[in-house]
Amino acid sequence: MSALLDVRNLRVTFGGTAAVRGASLTVEKGETHCLVGESGCGKSVTALALMGLLARGGKREADALSFAGQDIRNLGERDMSRLRGDRMAMIVQEPMTSLNPADTVGSQLTEVLRRHRGASRAQAVDRAAELLGRVGITAPGLRLGQYPHQLSGGLRQRVMIAMALMCDPELLIADEPTTALDVTVQAQILRLLAELQAEFGLGILLITHDLGVVARIADRVSVMYAGEVVESAPTAELFAAPQHPYTRGLLTCVPVPGKVKRGEPLGSIPGVVPRIPPGFVGCSFRDRCAYAHAACKHDIPRQHAGPDHEALCTLPPGWTDRAAA
Amino acid sequence: MSDIPAIEVRGLRRVFDVRQGLFAKPRQVVAVDDVSFSVPAGSVLGIVGESGCGKTTLARMILGLLPPSSGDVLIDGQRLGDLDRRARARLIQPVFQDPFSSLNPRRRVRDIVAMPLVAQGNIAGDEVKRRVGEALERVGLSAEQGSRYPSQLSGGQRQRVAIARALVLRPRIVVCDEPTSALDVSVQAQILNLLAELRKDLGLTYLFISHNLAVVEHVASEVAVMYLGRIVERNESEALFAHPQHPYTRALLDSVLTPEPGLGVPDVGLGDTMPDPANIPPGCRFHPRCPLAFERCSHETPKLTPNEAGFVECLLAEE
Repeated sequence: MSALLDVRNLRVTFGGTAAVRGASLTVEKGETHCLVGESGCGKSVTALALMGLLARGGKREADALSFAGQDIRNLGERDMSRLRGDRMAMIVQEPMTSLNPADTVGSQLTEVLRRHRGASRAQAVDRAAELLGRVGITAPGLRLGQYPHQLSGGLRQRVMIAMALMCDPELLIADEPTTALDVTVQAQILRLLAELQAEFGLGILLITHDLGVVARIADRVSVMYAGEVVESAPTAELFAAPQHPYTRGLLTCVPVPGKVKRGEPLGSIPGVVPRIPPGFVGCSFRDRCAYAHAACKHDIPRQHAGPDHEALCTLPPGWTDRAAA
Repeated sequence: MSDIPAIEVRGLRRVFDVRQGLFAKPRQVVAVDDVSFSVPAGSVLGIVGESGCGKTTLARMILGLLPPSSGDVLIDGQRLGDLDRRARARLIQPVFQDPFSSLNPRRRVRDIVAMPLVAQGNIAGDEVKRRVGEALERVGLSAEQGSRYPSQLSGGQRQRVAIARALVLRPRIVVCDEPTSALDVSVQAQILNLLAELRKDLGLTYLFISHNLAVVEHVASEVAVMYLGRIVERNESEALFAHPQHPYTRALLDSVLTPEPGLGVPDVGLGDTMPDPANIPPGCRFHPRCPLAFERCSHETPKLTPNEAGFVECLLAEE
């Protein structure tokens, strides 16, 4: 059976600027795939491109882009908007700005079901109340009549999740869903997502910069750098044996209680993310990489470090074991 | 080093009047409620807590940007209220969270860094120039970057500018309010390393406010945990992280997602009640969310119970 979401070599350009230069990933039913990277690496643009929501002037190309077996590359806006919010749903980062401040929670929630499923008002209200309860909101009846500004950040993000789930989607794309929240609320929201996934068999593509979140909930991880997926592996493998020097660098930057001694410097990646000119060839990380050599200026091979572990790097697979030895 | 604490705070309290509607009676929000502590010179006090716990209000009062409703702030043994702005600026300086809004976009980097010197009013032009050059070099910025505008710099470089501006008067104390929260992890590491190096070389004292406990554990020698305007636990960093005593501290630590695969997302057991500073519960203010709460917690206010280097405010610890 084919994957729920299958993306091969996605490219997105805005005018002459390439925002995504090669992203391939798959999301299976019931799987959580995390796309991780720093700001400007193209992870949010990837999400928007998959949903067909690129800003004006954005151009999307891909070798393959299919959802539940259907090629969605050439779907028109009408067909795409029929899928969106129905079988594929999205949660964005700011629960503060992504709800309409002039409309009640209830009417924003019910609109989804009425539009996509032609449900009656009463049916939609029932479903909305049920889902608000499901995402851990007490007194759903009261909340339905309230406006977004009357809710805390955590509650708003729960409302966003409930809204995304109104039509029982098969795929949920979540772009930094917990970044704006306190750690305590983050833990609650992530637990909720995991529970809902187990219950509904959702495929989740979660976009984040937080390696802690990745480690705890992802089945699979893709690391993005300067518009490309540079490494992809099952979560445990990526953390245990990162292949790409960028992935390795990222992992040493995070203070881990008990692992990095207080007062000792953290690992860091020198330099900044480069601007990639059109026609650029070779590895986009080479100027910051301690292992860069002549071959990094040419086409970079996609190498297998394991049956399910790929890295876009000239270093031989397994080089890290030798470096450590 | 002298025995006079770099920062001393006594019974500090700040109340805001919040109007909920045009005709509604204003409600009182107690943002900081009777907080006392001292920070020895050369150490780093980390302050952690959820949003709305009063940590930024506390920082603003210590910086003299917000007058307290009652209580005192002593900087280097002198009452903050007795110092004029210039003297205060020579002692204590801030580094804020957002390097995108804390720098004037219309001024060049070197003019931004020179501002505190110029504001002193009695420092000669070439002295200003020399010290700005020194400060920029200290934080790893080139002279060429000094002539750019903030919009031409990355987030990490801008935060370096903010740090250079804080250091240019050679203060003894720097208040860092979420200094790395807006930055990417690789840049966060660079900035944390820089702050640690500066502290060692210049003998600075930091008040380090963050919601990121892993970061606080990494930089702080002592940690204070704030909840709804009060410090509910304070201890040496190692002791606090190794054996947290307050149930809230424990919940906060449990919520931290360390990058260790396979552990799953913890259930911290805090429930769905959110803290509301306009509506502080009687008894222990944490009891509605506390997984260990018992009957007395809802009406009896816990007293401070001393621990290794600080105290904890919980009825369970009193026993």
